[in-house]
Amino acid sequence: MRILSVAAAALLAGLMTSVSGGALAQERTVKITGFGAKSGVVRVFGVNSEAAMKAAAEEINKAGGVTLGDGTKAKLAVEFLDDRCNAEEGISVIRRIASSDAFVAVGPTCSNVAESLFGILQKKVGDASDSGLQIPVFADVAAKGGLAAISEWAFRNVPSELEMYKSLFAWLKREHPNLKTIYGGVEKDFAHSNATYGVMKKQAEENGFQVLGTGEWLLNDTNFSTQVREMRRANPEIVAISAHPFTTCGVLREMDRQGVKPKLLIGLTSSSSIETLQGCAKQAEGIIIPTSFAPVTPEAKAAAENVSKQGGSMDLHSAAAYEIMFILKEVIESQKIMAKPDTVQADRNKMRQGLAALKETKGLLGTVGRTKDREAIKPYLYVHAKDGSWQVLHKPSS
Amino acid sequence: MDLLDLIDAVQSVADGLLFGSTYALLGIGFTLIFGVMHKINLSYAAASIGAAYGSLLLLSGFSAAPAIIVFMAAALCGGVIGALVYFIGFKFIPVANPLATLMSTVGLLLLIDEIIVHTTEGVPLAYPALYSDVVVRLGQFMLRGDLMFVFVLGCACMVLFLLLLYRTRLGIATRAVSQQPIASQLCGISILKVNVLTFVVTGMLGGIAGAMSGAAIGMLSPLLAQPLTVKGLIVTVIGGLGSIPGAIIAGLIVGGLESLFQFLRGVTERDLYIMMLLFAFLVFRPGGIFARAPGRD
Repeated sequence: MRILSVAAAALLAGLMTSVSGGALAQERTVKITGFGAKSGVVRVFGVNSEAAMKAAAEEINKAGGVTLGDGTKAKLAVEFLDDRCNAEEGISVIRRIASSDAFVAVGPTCSNVAESLFGILQKKVGDASDSGLQIPVFADVAAKGGLAAISEWAFRNVPSELEMYKSLFAWLKREHPNLKTIYGGVEKDFAHSNATYGVMKKQAEENGFQVLGTGEWLLNDTNFSTQVREMRRANPEIVAISAHPFTTCGVLREMDRQGVKPKLLIGLTSSSSIETLQGCAKQAEGIIIPTSFAPVTPEAKAAAENVSKQGGSMDLHSAAAYEIMFILKEVIESQKIMAKPDTVQADRNKMRQGLAALKETKGLLGTVGRTKDREAIKPYLYVHAKDGSWQVLHKPSS
Repeated sequence: MDLLDLIDAVQSVADGLLFGSTYALLGIGFTLIFGVMHKINLSYAAASIGAAYGSLLLLSGFSAAPAIIVFMAAALCGGVIGALVYFIGFKFIPVANPLATLMSTVGLLLLIDEIIVHTTEGVPLAYPALYSDVVVRLGQFMLRGDLMFVFVLGCACMVLFLLLLYRTRLGIATRAVSQQPIASQLCGISILKVNVLTFVVTGMLGGIAGAMSGAAIGMLSPLLAQPLTVKGLIVTVIGGLGSIPGAIIAGLIVGGLESLFQFLRGVTERDLYIMMLLFAFLVFRPGGIFARAPGRD
């Protein structure tokens, strides 16, 4: 009897071990590493990207997870590292990710970081003389145009501001043929604002607007009276401000004080956020901004709610991070990525090939095109500040 | 330069002078701590912005608290943060190593900045301003009501502060410790008490300066800490380390010139000229505005 009991216990234990082992085999987890600014004044971008990635991972996991190359199902887990919006930190972070078993990295927030870290990736795939890192990096926020061209391992799901402002100024010309003059304002020391102002100015001129002048200030300036006085003297019909919410509000308040009342206001993509409305809703009333995200489709609304539950907020930048997670799922499955420690480099190559081969992806506002330079052509719309909220003004594609 | 340019130039200087009162308050804080302890507190401007944030936190339960109450709350928070800065960054650091306190205040600057960033996610917050809609027009000139209020408040704080320093026992004790710390101790003055009170009082001034900076733009952002630290230090050097009248005048000069250079040379060169002014003072008047000219060979 005693021998029988021992044998039964051993059998039970063996069964349990095999069951739990089987369960473990079924419950693989694939870690997706994101990185971006989670400290410093641009921390909110990192917080939103992380929340968006986690929200998307949760959605994917709820729907059954991702199917790996060996047919097993895996759940996605998100890890997010802080690069402090600093190029050196960014390079250190990507080196750390590259030394792990991650087969892709999602980030960074800042264009200066993207520019530097894309530079340490291998420029051309298969170039044996180039010892650059060979890991695909998929940027969600870094907005400066054309960055993915730096390396064949670099990809972006960032809206093309050139396309957005090109379309916006052409639309303004059609809709407001009586408006002829424009005055610009730019945060001179911020790469994104500065680059986008170049785009705004060029597109304004190409569409026949006369640029009367440009007011310049710095990201942390608090006094804009001199710049706005020059603006007042120019008496423009349109004012285009390429700056983030803090100084955009400062300038709009100063314009209000000095009685500068243009017939039309245009803003930077990044200013189509709640911060602008919290800071200066009254002065920002009517400002038109092109954006690649607004909660106008059922998917976009649901995604925004999910991101909010993860402690972030959905905007054009975090929407890109959200979409990237679904793109990665698609590529993991189509390229039969194994996600095992001994297949890391092979998985990275497969991921790169899969991303490079994409012709279009599914976005929250519709189909996103992919270019040969590994950039995205995202659908967009124009929003304007109205009664303290952002409302859709026009959908160019419709 | 035509008449309009001249008017704009004068207007720029006037705006700068009004905003310069914020720099003056910060300069007083820097200079008083140096005067009493002969140490620089690099976390002072960050603590001032922290105090302004603290006032929003303190009054978060009250919807739309009047701006003046917010300013008073900022002064209160500034006093508390000032005391904390003293105990964390100065009290337990060996006196013999002045560089240690310098580094500890650099650490505190970064710490306060990151606390603000992590609490607010770095998102700018709306900050109330008094008289933000008031504009006084004098012919071609225009004076902002909120900046005039900031200027008047700044001047009132400076007067109160000077009265405190020259007309009260605390002020006498503070000056005594500043001039002869050992003799002061022998006279029964508690150096610890004077040091703590110095940090509390300068912290309160800093809190008001932080609130004034937020009120001037209508928003608070952690972005403000770094430029205010730099401006505060420049004002302290130009005014003369330890000189309160110097800090006041230097604050106004830096504010006015900053605005004038912005008008004349643009944003990319503006700070360059302020830095050149700083170097000029370091070389030709290292003791600041009110110092005697140094003897040379």
